[in-house]
Amino acid sequence: MNKSGETILSVENLFVSYGHVEALKGVSLEVKRGEIVVLVGSNGAGKTSIMETILGVNQTRKGRIIFEGREITNLSSDKIVRSGIFLVPEGRGVFSSMSVLDNLLLGAHHNLKNAKEKTAYVYELFPVLGQRRNQIAGTLSGGERQMLSIARALMSNPKMIMVDEPSIGLAPKIVNDIFKILQNLNKEGYAILLSEQNVYKALKLADRGYVLETGSVVLDGTSEGLLHNTDIRKAYLGA
Amino acid sequence: MAVFLAQIVNGISLGSVYVLLVTGFNLLLLVAMIIHYSFPIVVVFSMYISWIVLGLTGGNMFLGLSAGIVSAVLINILTAPMFQHIMKKRGDVDINSTMVLSMGIGMIITDFLSHSVNSGFPIAFPDSLTGRGEPAFIRLGVISMSRGDMLSLTLGIIFVLGLFWILYKTRAGRAFRAIAEDPNGAKLVGIPILKTGLQSYALTGLLGGVSAVAMSILLGSASPGLGDQLGRKVLAVSIIAGLGNLKGGLIVGISLGILEALVQGYWSGTWSNSIAFVVMLIAILVKPKGIFGMKL
Amino acid sequence: MSLPLYYYLAITAVYILMTWALYLPYRVAHLHFMVVANMAISGYFGGYAAINWHWSFLAVFAAGFLIGAVVSFVVSIAIGDAPTFAVVIVGFTFIYITKTVIENWPAMGSTMGMFGIPLVNHILLYAYLFVLVTGFFIYRFDHSRLGRAASAIFIHRELATSFGVNTKYLGMFLQTWAGAIGGATGVLYGFIMNSLFPNFFTFPIIGATMTMLFLGGYTTMWGPLLAAPVLWGAPLLLPTAVASWRQIIYGVLLIVILLLRPEGAITRPFIVKVQTTIFQWMRIKKV
Repeated sequence: MNKSGETILSVENLFVSYGHVEALKGVSLEVKRGEIVVLVGSNGAGKTSIMETILGVNQTRKGRIIFEGREITNLSSDKIVRSGIFLVPEGRGVFSSMSVLDNLLLGAHHNLKNAKEKTAYVYELFPVLGQRRNQIAGTLSGGERQMLSIARALMSNPKMIMVDEPSIGLAPKIVNDIFKILQNLNKEGYAILLSEQNVYKALKLADRGYVLETGSVVLDGTSEGLLHNTDIRKAYLGA
Repeated sequence: MAVFLAQIVNGISLGSVYVLLVTGFNLLLLVAMIIHYSFPIVVVFSMYISWIVLGLTGGNMFLGLSAGIVSAVLINILTAPMFQHIMKKRGDVDINSTMVLSMGIGMIITDFLSHSVNSGFPIAFPDSLTGRGEPAFIRLGVISMSRGDMLSLTLGIIFVLGLFWILYKTRAGRAFRAIAEDPNGAKLVGIPILKTGLQSYALTGLLGGVSAVAMSILLGSASPGLGDQLGRKVLAVSIIAGLGNLKGGLIVGISLGILEALVQGYWSGTWSNSIAFVVMLIAILVKPKGIFGMKL
Repeated sequence: MSLPLYYYLAITAVYILMTWALYLPYRVAHLHFMVVANMAISGYFGGYAAINWHWSFLAVFAAGFLIGAVVSFVVSIAIGDAPTFAVVIVGFTFIYITKTVIENWPAMGSTMGMFGIPLVNHILLYAYLFVLVTGFFIYRFDHSRLGRAASAIFIHRELATSFGVNTKYLGMFLQTWAGAIGGATGVLYGFIMNSLFPNFFTFPIIGATMTMLFLGGYTTMWGPLLAAPVLWGAPLLLPTAVASWRQIIYGVLLIVILLLRPEGAITRPFIVKVQTTIFQWMRIKKV
């Protein structure tokens, strides 16, 4: 595994508000090349806000986002996708009226060169998508949609993939499959920023974690350390 | 029976023009997310531009018709920033303000045409374009088609097929469909919303320009009030089919053309035009959300 | 009173009423152009009844009000809860059909118009009395439980339904009321002008009232009240050559206001500000 320790993404002192509501209050975090970093926290803690802000969906009020040494704060989403970040949104974000192949090609919208090779590559990773390439995405099962959403991310040649709450609404066995897939992708060299309510599983998978409460980071450290932290065990692991 | 068949054929030609207009309208609705009520008024304005250029160049068909097409594309692209300014704060209500904005544009164009061009009198296109007075182009038993009917039908078929090809087989079309289904999701996968929206303005402008050519040939004349009348028909067709439903628009557009042709075949007089409106009114009152379901 | 001033005041009342008729259903985001058709139907009925059956003005006025209400009510059964664009197209189609019927009906004067609607004394007084009464009830409505429900529907139809607001009944109520105002105003207009032309009930009045509603501000009843006299009056002060471009002027104003101040000139925060200012001013005076 290549964990050179070089920082690929750094978020510095990020403030975001929706109208009068402050969603993020000075969040700082880092993702290194080849790492899996997990964001842990309850609903409304700001996990999705962080990801959407990194992707340029929300305007920041203060703070900077630097990706591969280039400031990407408040750039438009399509430019940020071009620079190598892709989001696998909560609830999959699959276009259910379009075919599986169309959905995959949308991931490569900004760069259709080598689209053939890239689709061949994701069909190899997810054979089920290859079999159903002409099927309408709305007819896929929940797990298959999550795979499609991840495969679509791979189509964009990302350097970092953000995965928002992948386990929501999936059976435990499928969740295990998805986590396995994320682990394999990480071995192939993709940096992954993951948000998850299934704290135990997520920390088992990740290298490091950040604990969020009402828009601020209250704790961070290696997964190992967080798993043994008494506060975490009380709040999230029920021990 | 002879009248019936002949009018069905005429109706399909007329219907193909409605389909062009409705498809352009629906595309703007789906991709640019606006209700461009006055889109047909822009098209009628382009017919006027064609007519003016035909007059200036001594009847040069190529220049006249291209001027009409170019003007439709230009007007669409030039008005786009106004719509996009409103779209930036899109909510449930803002799609209504795009309709009001569009009506404002329509008011300006219609009043301009009724004041300043040909003293507000209807304009007529030369016979060399419409083929009026020529013998029928095709004759099959009782069915005969004039050159004008033939040309406008061909234009309609080619461009509607072309449009569906763009929608389902190209990168831009894929992005159009993605935005139509879920604008926020489309943004997340890195589709530039405003730029893609602008492409849809240009494409519908082209469709509008082609509709202008087809109508100049088929109707052979235009008046300042024509745009408003078409605007009502197009909005009604689109609603009856289900707003934004492209395939539904195809069916209802052709049906309206056939209905109007049949009414005119059997029932001449000033009432004939309103029969279509009565039918449409009843359809909307019975099913305000459309027959084939909204795609919004 | 000079004749131009009389006409200015009388037609201003007509525009205030018609813009209010458009304002009421727009409280639930329905752009109900049907009221223009109501105006034509009741106006023509009133003219015919007054000329041929010698009905008194007040009887005709009441009948016009009722006919407007009934026609709009029947239609509202179908579109009381319809999407905005469906309401718009129903209005437009109704206007078109009404106009075609009138133009082809010799008893209504066909395209030539209906003439000889009798003069009525104090018509201006009646017109403004109706403005006052209508304004009073709109004010009461806006400050009632139903007014708040309407605002909720305007902002988010589905959410309002989940609060237990019956969107269909409220929509039907507002459309019916607006139709009644439209019908009564049609009668007023006929008796003010003493003649009616089918062409008036189309493009000119739709464009004018829509501009008045959006320019004045569609969130309060005061917007139309301010915009109608100004927008109707201003072109009268311009030279005739410019004033004949009325529709274009309205169109440009409409677009500019939508781009710069989407809620129109008079908004709710503005009303609150005016109220506090007046309140403070009065307090200072007392001291």
